[in-house]
Amino acid sequence: MAQGVNGVMGALPAPDFDAQLMLRVRDGDEESFRVLLEKHRNPVVHFLYRMVQDEGVSEELSQEVFLRVYRSRGTYEPTARFTTWLFRIATHLALNWLRDGRNERGQVRLDDGGDGDVPTRDVADRKPSVEQQMVYQARLLEVRDAIALLPEKQRAAVLMHKYEEMEYSQIAGVLECSESAVKSLLFRAYETLRARLAHMVTGGAR
Amino acid sequence: MNCPLRPMNCPLRKEETAHMLLDYSAGRLDAAGTSVLERHMESCPACAAFRIEQAAVWNALDAWEPSPVSPDFNRRLWQRIDAADAAPWYERLAESLRIAAWKPVLPLTAAILIVAAGFLFDHPGGRSPLPGAAANSVSVTEAEQVEQALDDIQLLRQLNTAASPDSAKKM
Repeated sequence: MAQGVNGVMGALPAPDFDAQLMLRVRDGDEESFRVLLEKHRNPVVHFLYRMVQDEGVSEELSQEVFLRVYRSRGTYEPTARFTTWLFRIATHLALNWLRDGRNERGQVRLDDGGDGDVPTRDVADRKPSVEQQMVYQARLLEVRDAIALLPEKQRAAVLMHKYEEMEYSQIAGVLECSESAVKSLLFRAYETLRARLAHMVTGGAR
Repeated sequence: MNCPLRPMNCPLRKEETAHMLLDYSAGRLDAAGTSVLERHMESCPACAAFRIEQAAVWNALDAWEPSPVSPDFNRRLWQRIDAADAAPWYERLAESLRIAAWKPVLPLTAAILIVAAGFLFDHPGGRSPLPGAAANSVSVTEAEQVEQALDDIQLLRQLNTAASPDSAKKM
């Protein structure tokens, strides 16, 4: 399995700190795995949540990510930064889920006699009690929809660029493409977002 | 990042420089690039508009904060790890194969193995005669060699007799 996920992603001169921790996990140090889990759990869950936009699914997929990391410890080789490897697994799982789930969700809409192209969202977890909250929720819904409507790779690239503050080279390592391809993906993605969220400029977004 | 932008070139005109505006909006452009770009934006309405719109998108994305992770996330994960460790070897192997199956080389390898196995099953008699044939071939060769050696000895005796009849008698 490690062969599968460790893959060649560009050699580094020395393993980063997380990779060193993972090497200790490989040598049987469970505590190092706990450290890695604590450090990367929230970023992975949040990344997956923004990818699939479902809390339950994002946690399930995150569990699968860390389970795979743990199970591949025996054959782990630090061929890339640890986070590149980690997000590569996470992105792979998210893209698979989106591709597998698209048909199911489409089927549900057909079965329900759905009447529109707008996907249903379950964002109203907290009922707004004041106008400010309602405005916030409406804007948030727009942002979520704008992200959800991006092609999957563009979405992943934007989320890693914006929220994980990854370099182009690292995103390229995760998505297994060239750095120039990542720049192109990001430019097109932000172009789409600007078009979809343009009204927020005049609406006072700062 | 280094700034490949000359003062009069608009970064939006070329794909290789357009990302500079993204870097600028994200606050990730180095000081030299920032200085050149800001000078350029003073006289370029397109880039100035890009900056405003991109900043709006950036801030809109900032507002999207996900919910906290479930408090029992770690406990559930360790349960899964323990369950996976306790599983029989064949289940762990199957799981490992399932996990690794996304690598394109594995399905290809599996396909090649299946085709090879199918070929072997389809030609069951193709290989069995080979060892026997080889053995027969070896036996025939050995007999011929022995026969040749006997002939040679016989010829040498005849030559020896012809050369010295006395020594032939002693033999």
